[in-house]
Amino acid sequence: MIYPSIIPCILVLAAGVYLLGLRRAEKVAALSGGLREMHSLPTHYGVFAALCCALPALFLLAIWMVSEEKIVTHMISGNLPAEYLKLPANKLSLVINEVKNIAFGGFTATSGNPAIEQAAAAYVAHLHATRNIVSIVVLFCCIVPAWFSLRSITKDLRARNLVEGAARILLIGCAGVAILTTIGIVFSVLFESLRFFQSVPLADFLFGLKWSPQIAMRADQAGSSGAFGAVPVFIGTFLIAAIAMMVAIPIGLLSAIYLSEYAGASFRNWAKPTLEILAGIPTVVYGFFAALTVAPLIRDIGTVLGLTVSSESALAAGLIMGIMIIPFVSSLSDDVIHAVPQSMRDGSLALGATRFETISNVIIPAALPGIVGSILLAVSRAVGETMIVVMAAGLSANLSFNPLTAVTTVTVQIVTLLVGDQEFDSPKTLAAFALGLLLFVFTLVLNFIALRVVRRYREHYE
Amino acid sequence: MEIAASRMTDQAFPIMNADILAEEHARLHARPVDRKTVGSPFVKNPRMTCRNVDVFYGEKQAINKVSIDVGQNQVLAMIGPSGCGKSTFLRCLNRMNDTVSSCRVEGKVCLDGIDIYGPAIDVVPLRARVGMVFQKPNPFPKSIYDNVAYGPRIHGLTRDKNELDEIVQTSLVKAGLWEEVKDRLREPGTGLSGGQQQRLCIARAIAVSPEVILMDEPCSALDPIATARVEELIAELRAQYAIVIVTHAMQQASRVSQRTAYFHLGDLIEVGPTEKIFTNPGHKLTEDYITGRFG
Repeated sequence: MIYPSIIPCILVLAAGVYLLGLRRAEKVAALSGGLREMHSLPTHYGVFAALCCALPALFLLAIWMVSEEKIVTHMISGNLPAEYLKLPANKLSLVINEVKNIAFGGFTATSGNPAIEQAAAAYVAHLHATRNIVSIVVLFCCIVPAWFSLRSITKDLRARNLVEGAARILLIGCAGVAILTTIGIVFSVLFESLRFFQSVPLADFLFGLKWSPQIAMRADQAGSSGAFGAVPVFIGTFLIAAIAMMVAIPIGLLSAIYLSEYAGASFRNWAKPTLEILAGIPTVVYGFFAALTVAPLIRDIGTVLGLTVSSESALAAGLIMGIMIIPFVSSLSDDVIHAVPQSMRDGSLALGATRFETISNVIIPAALPGIVGSILLAVSRAVGETMIVVMAAGLSANLSFNPLTAVTTVTVQIVTLLVGDQEFDSPKTLAAFALGLLLFVFTLVLNFIALRVVRRYREHYE
Repeated sequence: MEIAASRMTDQAFPIMNADILAEEHARLHARPVDRKTVGSPFVKNPRMTCRNVDVFYGEKQAINKVSIDVGQNQVLAMIGPSGCGKSTFLRCLNRMNDTVSSCRVEGKVCLDGIDIYGPAIDVVPLRARVGMVFQKPNPFPKSIYDNVAYGPRIHGLTRDKNELDEIVQTSLVKAGLWEEVKDRLREPGTGLSGGQQQRLCIARAIAVSPEVILMDEPCSALDPIATARVEELIAELRAQYAIVIVTHAMQQASRVSQRTAYFHLGDLIEVGPTEKIFTNPGHKLTEDYITGRFG
């Protein structure tokens, strides 16, 4: 039974082949007149041989791991009693699940059926047999290419270039994983949303003014008609994000200007990391700070001023969220302002401009793309932030622009829709995907517009 | 952080260089040399007068007791090996060294008889009176028009758009750039060629009507043709301004200047009429430098 330890086996083999490659390269070098005569360094030959050993085997193993279950299932399903084979496809898959549960020693609903027990035993036996075969094939795939690669080591083998190529493929692979994951997420959200739009019309979702995602479980249930108008939820999101940006942009940008242009190096060296600590505070801590300290404070101040303020207000959540995203604006803006060449400052100062004139007329326009970028990052953070709003802004979907009332946001609604045991075919749960998709489209459009704006107004410096 | 570091090394560069050169010099001139300025550092009716100017970067002294006058309608060239302090001294004349926190200036620098380091002097109008052109062309990332209009705008020199247009045009004409850019004043200044950018920077400096123009190796980043154009321009500007130019190229000093000052490791070695410096230098170090024995 080498299957469970097959990956360590391959790695050990590859390490051994690396050493053999090294040894062989040195031997070839000694025969052909020193290392200088070789095309590549001995380590290149070693890595080349090790890659020839490990890569085909790992590739084969990956393919097997993906398809193992299907192949084994296919092997046993022919042996099931005839009455099971006549079942419709979904019932049959239940039976097969049962078999697998017994085979892997998991929870079973109906044990004791001899046919299924037998099938489970067959499943285990097939699994072990095929795994043994696969292990041998994989090891064969290790040794044969390794042997050929070791044999091919000559002074003219371009091992260095081949290793370089392998590194390039590795990099492409990693970039590909990131991109494919993004695409995968987008599509899964998209397909779930399409299922949602089969039960709720798109126009109702986009332009409906009422959000009340409770669906009647029974026809006679009262008060749960279900309304999926996303407008109040998005208004709430924008309201809170706008309040947050009103806090974060001025404070963040002005502190960035102070830090990069006025503050001395020693002050900057401790002030900047301190400011960045704000970004490291868990959002749940901000959340209860907002809910327990700021929201009551705002309510009390409101009462003194004769305003009606609900105890969970958009203002409290927005203010705290603004504080939270200050470091996003300040730290990135500080970096881009710092990156504006000193010659720009000198040029402006030499014309008799004051420091602030220099900053507002030359530095900020030159740093604008980066500043807008930092603000964009902060906006997407504000729109996507969940914990603070869950705790401080409330759950009721009021269609209101008044920052003193309780509002709710897209992220809060997604959380409440998906928390707990849910069935994934009711519009209630699918609505979460539709909200997520709309939020995604919104941030995408925002990014697009901002990029266009920046391209229009940016001032290139050399 | 990387950029911050590069900014810091920029400022530290003259000091480091001076260290290396000090060693080299100690090797070349083992015997003590006379560091008293020879020649004629003073002129009649000077525009700027410098007396016993010392400049320190932290503990390190970069300029040592320099006394020299800048005359009206004259080009004063400052030459010397790299790290000799000529750029540092130039930057004292409009207090650009104020931006370097470790830099300290002692002695007296007067513009029209008034000490520019005195308590009554505001550095902002001073820099408008003593303009500066830098080694590397540094047009702002704005349009050609806005580059030239920058100074007049911040100083409120004009009452309306027409006056501003006129200042922009005359400055560009004086800088010899008008014919080349008059149809594209709205295009970015950074899109011009290196020589054009440097003339744009000169136009930008003239637009605030300075009295003295300081040029810190204005042609070192330019090709020979652009250099010739800028040198021509310097000769024209002499009619109206007092000009101080720092240069590495001795031929350039002999072409554009009337007086030449030779700096060596923070000391002003010799000052005199340009033709005398280049034909009959009064100091051994000057002679060694202009004959190419070191530098």
